[in-house]
Amino acid sequence: MRWSWIVRISIIVLALLTSMTAMAQKSITFWLMPNAPDETHIPWLEEKAREFETRTGYKVNFEIIGWGEAWQKISVALASQTGPDVFQVGTTWNPQFAATGGLEKIDLTEFGGNDAFMKANYISTTYKGESYGVPWFAETRCLFYNTDMFAQVGVQPPATYEELKVVGKKIVEKFGEGSAIAIAGTNAWDLLHNWAIVLWAYGGDLLTPDNKQAAFNGEAGVTAMQWYASLILDGLAAKACAEYNQPQADAAFINGNVAMCFMGPWNIAGIEQENPDLPYDVVEPPAGPVKRASFSGGSNLVILKGSSNKDIAKKWIEFLLEKGNLVDYTRNLSHMLPAKIEAFEDPYYDTGVWQVFKKTLGYATAYPPLAVWGDIENAVVQEFRNILTAVASGQYSEDTVKLYLDKAAERVNEALARER
Amino acid sequence: MSSQARGKLAFRFILPAFICMLFVHIVPIFLGAYLAFIDLDIYTITQWIRAPFVGLKNFIDVFSVRTDVGIRYLRSIWNVVYFGLITIPAGYVIGLLVALLLNRKFFGRTLVRSLILLPYITPDSVAYNVWRFIFQARIGIVNKYLLALGLINEPILWLVGDRAIYAVMIASVWKGWPFACLILLAGLQNIPQELYEAARIDGASSFALFRFITFPMLRPVSATLLLLSAIWNFHAFNQFYILLGTDPGKAHVPSTFILQEAFTNLHLSKGAAMSVFLTLVVLLMTVVMLRLRRGEGE
Repeated sequence: MRWSWIVRISIIVLALLTSMTAMAQKSITFWLMPNAPDETHIPWLEEKAREFETRTGYKVNFEIIGWGEAWQKISVALASQTGPDVFQVGTTWNPQFAATGGLEKIDLTEFGGNDAFMKANYISTTYKGESYGVPWFAETRCLFYNTDMFAQVGVQPPATYEELKVVGKKIVEKFGEGSAIAIAGTNAWDLLHNWAIVLWAYGGDLLTPDNKQAAFNGEAGVTAMQWYASLILDGLAAKACAEYNQPQADAAFINGNVAMCFMGPWNIAGIEQENPDLPYDVVEPPAGPVKRASFSGGSNLVILKGSSNKDIAKKWIEFLLEKGNLVDYTRNLSHMLPAKIEAFEDPYYDTGVWQVFKKTLGYATAYPPLAVWGDIENAVVQEFRNILTAVASGQYSEDTVKLYLDKAAERVNEALARER
Repeated sequence: MSSQARGKLAFRFILPAFICMLFVHIVPIFLGAYLAFIDLDIYTITQWIRAPFVGLKNFIDVFSVRTDVGIRYLRSIWNVVYFGLITIPAGYVIGLLVALLLNRKFFGRTLVRSLILLPYITPDSVAYNVWRFIFQARIGIVNKYLLALGLINEPILWLVGDRAIYAVMIASVWKGWPFACLILLAGLQNIPQELYEAARIDGASSFALFRFITFPMLRPVSATLLLLSAIWNFHAFNQFYILLGTDPGKAHVPSTFILQEAFTNLHLSKGAAMSVFLTLVVLLMTVVMLRLRRGEGE
């Protein structure tokens, strides 16, 4: 009697294990970030997962992870080689995660080749010359301006950074201190993106061409940082900006309180939702004395090296990058820009503000694909915060920028020495 | 039941809890300590078992004034010591004053005793988020009142730069003093009333009563309270993380700095070395406290 029970239970357990294994083999796990509001994002993903299952027989279990926890969750997945088969990473994260050895190397010819993607986004997938991800969508920031405020003052959108200050002063004369521009401050995690575009436009660079030394503390870097600080010092931006995060700066513009702000395409959805009557337009970032520059960000899709379903994961990436899916996702959900060039053939990107973003993304720059990039960005941002704090607390002097940029350069060189 | 059988039964009852402790606390502690002696970083995270053994290098680096991580870790230690030196006495003094008041009989005393616990029982995430708004430069009420009173001419930044640690101190004292008050009030109620009566007959003033009876009689409770506060302060995290964000800059304390180094920058071994030191300090303080309590018992 006892034996018969043991046999029965064993059969049930075996059946369960077999069915679980079968289920596990017929599904992949996909981690992604909240690229769109849940109410539109989840139904879209469910629909696409169903479509994919019909086509391949594989179920896609997706999990949406907040940006705040994504880094640590992915780090754990990389260390344990368990969790997702395929997942989204920010462009600046891709080379760092590739350096861990936990990502699958990817031959981009399977996805149309390197030239099928926006150049900066392709570069962001690389580490030591090899690709470890597939560009999914891109972002770049342009100058948003309040057309009504500009019309009242009788000025045109600035074409250069110097012009921006001239225009800004006129706006301040009419609308009061801090009304010209909203900028990100110490609480912005993406503070570097805001300064990098000015630095490049002034002819500077973050690192030397061989990526061995810091280069941002040279003359161009100091001038570019002084320009950024002067926005607060000259009263064009409110002193409170010194502690803003990016959404606070965006909100100041979207609420109609300030005339200009550097924002991304995703902010358009925010404007439509929070202040649809806002009279605004978008122009390319102003040019510096050397060139016009912009930052390229966005997200890539990567495959976990330990995944047992790499081929299906690749098929899922291919599926997401199909022109129709990519355009639909970027245009109607994430309000980002597609990272695949063919998606720009969609006439939508030749209309209104999108043509500005499309043009800007064409010359946008990615950060150097290094394993120690996180340390580098942290070092620069922390000293940048010290500069902004000095500005806000009245301790800013002529030497402040050079002092902190040199400190940051020291730390960056220390980090670069660890790059293998 | 024989004593041997009772022992076996007790062992069986303890075993599940011990197994949980073993895997949730003890093994991770030793594993964490092991990480401090290997080179686990972004390059070795996926093959941590094969990460090279580096001896005391991580400890040397995190205490070196020649490395960036060392400078910043030492600064974070100084910050937490400075933070404790201000907040612990401040919380103690406020707690003591209020405890002395609440030790007197007055109408509604029980209600007031319950109300003063409000800051203490409010969850950290709620309380410190409210304080974050209070200290906001543009919309915070601190600046609003300072401006209205004419004490400042323009909004000042509380949550960045050198002032940040003071903002955290204010919020922490507000959150922590009721606990000190509660403990000291219990201590006050244990002081025999006869001592006060005898002293009054001898003509002692109120100040003399406090100086020669109340304060000395509170010494054992105070010592435990202060040491306990020091232990809690040394691994202060919530208030800094919530008020100042993931990167408190110059106001980093060891816990926030370890989080950043280990889990954001993926310098896991350095993070482990810093954590080992933090654990040893807290352990040492705990031993001192236990000795002190044993002394009280004797």
